[in-house]
Amino acid sequence: MKILIIEDEVALAHSIRDYLSDENYRCELAITYKEAIDKIGIYEYDCILLDLMLPGGDGLKILEEIKRGHKNEGVIIISAKNSIEEKVNGLQLGADDYLAKPFHLPELAARIYSVIRRKNFSNTNTLELNELSIDLRSKKVMVHEQEVILTKKELDLLLYFVSNKNRVISKSALAEHLSGDIADMFDSHDYIYAHIKNLKRKLQDAGCSNYLKTLYGSGYKWEI
Amino acid sequence: MTKLLNQSLKQFAAYAGLVLVCSIPVYYLIISRLWQYELDEHKIVLTNEAGREDKYLIIIVVTILTVIFFALLLTGFILLNRRISKHLWRTFYNSLEKIRKFEITQHTKVIFDKTNIEEFSALNQSLDKLIAGSVAAYSQQKEFTDNASHELQTPLAVIQSKLDLLIQTNPLTNEQYKIIEDVMKASARVTRINKNLLLLAKIENSQFMQKEKINLSALLPQTLAAFSNFSEDKSLEFATTIEPVVFVEGNQLLVEILINNLMTNAIRYSAANETIRLQLYPNKLILTNPGKSALHQEKLFKRFGTTSPETPGTGLGLALVKQICDRYEWTVTYTFDRGWHTFSILFNT
Repeated sequence: MKILIIEDEVALAHSIRDYLSDENYRCELAITYKEAIDKIGIYEYDCILLDLMLPGGDGLKILEEIKRGHKNEGVIIISAKNSIEEKVNGLQLGADDYLAKPFHLPELAARIYSVIRRKNFSNTNTLELNELSIDLRSKKVMVHEQEVILTKKELDLLLYFVSNKNRVISKSALAEHLSGDIADMFDSHDYIYAHIKNLKRKLQDAGCSNYLKTLYGSGYKWEI
Repeated sequence: MTKLLNQSLKQFAAYAGLVLVCSIPVYYLIISRLWQYELDEHKIVLTNEAGREDKYLIIIVVTILTVIFFALLLTGFILLNRRISKHLWRTFYNSLEKIRKFEITQHTKVIFDKTNIEEFSALNQSLDKLIAGSVAAYSQQKEFTDNASHELQTPLAVIQSKLDLLIQTNPLTNEQYKIIEDVMKASARVTRINKNLLLLAKIENSQFMQKEKINLSALLPQTLAAFSNFSEDKSLEFATTIEPVVFVEGNQLLVEILINNLMTNAIRYSAANETIRLQLYPNKLILTNPGKSALHQEKLFKRFGTTSPETPGTGLGLALVKQICDRYEWTVTYTFDRGWHTFSILFNT
């Protein structure tokens, strides 16, 4: 999968690239408006991360340019503004998602994963991970062909881990994912333990190997 | 309050009245002297009774005439006054109406009528200058809000992303991980404060002007569900009385922030295993939670008024609540009674 990161803050662009790059993702950077327009014109991408405030031009124009190409790439706007108008505007122009800065990298990875799955697997959308399979359309989780009943939050967590496989995820990132804006009003996030414990137990009871590891006391990693 | 011109009219009328009243004895004296002179010249001698009769006649006639003239003067004054205020002061009233209609948030331009009167022309020029200054300051402040947002969010995004990367490194000890998590928490707090400051600035800048009818009876259960993770963490119970179909008019986002902030405080500052009371009536929202001692009434709603090492909040939550209530002319009050903190919002419907 090829990802284009259009972001003028080089340090942030590098973080994103370093976090995402693995056997599945290959990342390219564009740090100016012109560079972005050039790359979009020549290459094809599966997903484009677009910062709207760029030196040399308006990010929304890039979005229009992408949409004019009628290619199948997903677009996620990453913006420092976090205004409702901008979000609505971007989504109306055809962006697939909007993420306000600052964000946790696992959150971005989860959004990219979801956008790419939506774009590329329109009919059957089932994830196969050894004995575990997740039907993203019907929200059904199977282990050894047997259904495991998960709550909405547990399924959400499972997908979050799967889209960040082999990465360490902090409790702060998990809290923000599960509770959004409300999460950052609180400093204690003990409820996460309960959700994770339940998820782990349900998967193990169904005979799934333990892919979800606890690290350093309060970090998590989906190892596969 | 009286109109400027009416004030001068009263004084003119009083002066004219005074002059006319004073003129009565003068007329009387002059007329009686002339009358006497004519009588003497023609050698007519009147009886005492006839003389007295003439005297009274003169007084009555002079008084009646004076009153008639006064009435004439007064009507003249009033008519003239109306004419003057219509024509002479028209420019002034026009300018006044324009300033009254001017809304800095609406981006309307104010153009004053041209006038030949020096004072009004000077007034209009000064008003022009004043309005231009306010508009410039307003847009500068708005620009500042946007810039501050961009300038701070980006480095915060860099910090956050580098921390997310740092925990991927190997080897990493438990102690190091713990330190990184603490830094993450601190940076999340800075992010939160920044967000709230921007929100305050935006509300002050009269952004979020769109209004709609919001069904609080439906919104509150949703809010409770969203907060359930946090209330369950502390084993808190909610005792709710929510009357059906309570609507308020306001901006959806602002009303949600208002309720979320009150709810956050109630959960954050309640001890474990306690009960929080939430009541919604057609004109009132009341949130009550247990606490040990009363909060500082006068500092409570000020920015950073309640920050202390023990309180993990941003110090801006209640300032936001107050600001949002002010916007809609709702009244927020705090009371402490026998171990219960109560925040109530009186809706102005």
